[in-house]
Amino acid sequence: MISLRQVHKRFGRVEAVRGVSLDIQQGQIVGILGPNGAGKTTTVRMIAAAIPPTSGSVEVAGMDAVGRSLEVRRKMGYMPESAPLYREMRVRDLLRYRAGLFGLTGKRRAEAVSRAAAQCQLDAVMHRRCGELSKGFRQRTGLASVLLHDPEVLILDEPTSGLDPAQIAETRSLIKGLAGRRTMLIVSHILPEVEKSCDRIVLFASGLIQADGAPDDLIRQLPGSEQYTIESRGDRPADDLFRALPRVESVESAALADGWQRCTITFSRSTPDQREHIARAAAEANLLVRELHARVTTLEDVYLRLVSSALIPPPPVAAATGAESSRSKIRRGGPEGAGMGGAPR
Amino acid sequence: MTILRIATRETASYFRSSIGWVAISLYLLLSGFWIAFAALRPGEPATLRAFFGVSQWILLIVAPAISMRLIADEKRTGTFEALITAPISDWQIVVGKYLGALAFFAAMLLPTLAYVGLLETISDPDYGPILSGYLGLLLVGSLYLAVGLFTSAVTENQIVSLLSTVFFFILLELLSTTGGQWLGPPFDEALFSLSIFLRIADLAKGVIDTAHIAAFLAASAWFVVLTVVVVESRRWR
Repeated sequence: MISLRQVHKRFGRVEAVRGVSLDIQQGQIVGILGPNGAGKTTTVRMIAAAIPPTSGSVEVAGMDAVGRSLEVRRKMGYMPESAPLYREMRVRDLLRYRAGLFGLTGKRRAEAVSRAAAQCQLDAVMHRRCGELSKGFRQRTGLASVLLHDPEVLILDEPTSGLDPAQIAETRSLIKGLAGRRTMLIVSHILPEVEKSCDRIVLFASGLIQADGAPDDLIRQLPGSEQYTIESRGDRPADDLFRALPRVESVESAALADGWQRCTITFSRSTPDQREHIARAAAEANLLVRELHARVTTLEDVYLRLVSSALIPPPPVAAATGAESSRSKIRRGGPEGAGMGGAPR
Repeated sequence: MTILRIATRETASYFRSSIGWVAISLYLLLSGFWIAFAALRPGEPATLRAFFGVSQWILLIVAPAISMRLIADEKRTGTFEALITAPISDWQIVVGKYLGALAFFAAMLLPTLAYVGLLETISDPDYGPILSGYLGLLLVGSLYLAVGLFTSAVTENQIVSLLSTVFFFILLELLSTTGGQWLGPPFDEALFSLSIFLRIADLAKGVIDTAHIAAFLAASAWFVVLTVVVVESRRWR
């Protein structure tokens, strides 16, 4: 449905996107994650045919987003960050106006407005001016305004930005309800939102894709994701005992002030739950255990690990001539496995 | 159709916002004062020449105040992003917005027709110069708005747009009239032809010179095209 090939985007001397290639299938809900300035909004603006790439190609539904930008935009619903609206317009007038811009007139326009208003539960505020709406309703109005023409691709830039927890939950359930056959791109730096809403995550940093895959896969592939902490006391050093366990990669030990010893045991990737084995080993060695827990790796760990490693100063523009050279630089500075995930390409 | 839709929204937005009513009030108040205390005096000829004369000065502030928000405000609030991702071309956006502002400008002039009625009740005015005077106001307004539209596209700051439009016309007037007088022949003719106020003065007198009309229309069109180029420049910047 969406295909990017070696896309670069430069603004003057700043290279915002540095050789991004990406394929998104129809019906996928993709979370575009990354810190501010990572290139995620620039990338989706290119997909939405708002700006062209400096080099590379962007295709939507088999159409070039530059050469056939108007046709691409007809298939697209793009809600910019903070859902900007004309404050002086009433919600109904705004929706009618937006529907008109997408070529809907007469009965079709009336139906589209009613349908979008119902989808986003706007019936109670249709007569109100956009400037008088609460943030939650503003967000819903913005969402309704991009649903009018029933787009095949929906791009939502920070759809829950600035909302309170209740509004976030409402918006999230609304977004989930919009999925179905639609391809959706949700740009965000709010991790739980993306983790809960999306079946695929593309993580950007420094204008490059750092990771791409299903949330669970990304978490599984993070180095050191099988990590356990145990606090024990006994006659013999616990770290030597745990080092002898199968598939252990490392054991870090620290003596606590109260005489107990804390060991952090890291197993090799994809090792099944080891708590039982650790507890048994401790019991057999007559160690007294007061705490044993597995450290659950979250998407936040993946995010922080990859983003912090990618935020090394980017190479000068002239040096970053190709995706391969850019990627290899990131990998060198990053953790083992950066750029993991193997995008479903 | 899309242009008309954008233009209609633009015109309506002026009537829904304070800036539109402030612009109308300011213009009617100042021009009304001028009519009451300077133009309608015993012994004065039954014309609106004084009104047209002062209007071009008042409009030098009022028209840029109308145009300053056209694109700058949309960029500031983010609504421009929603506009450029709709299936419409940049020139449709620019022309639609320009026509919307022009329609509001024309609507702002409508109440001044009361001055014509007033003149009719107290004397027997010649309608030729009045019609050409209004044509002049529409032409000068279209040029002010076109330059204002351009400056509004260049900046996201409405005040910068307003001030740069006003300064542009003051500079143009100084360059053309004072510069023309100072340099004298053979440059004065060319410089005087750049003066907007000299052209308007002719129209207010009832002289409908197609050169004046063509000059205003061409200059307005030129700035509208420049605005399209500025809006499109995001694609190759």
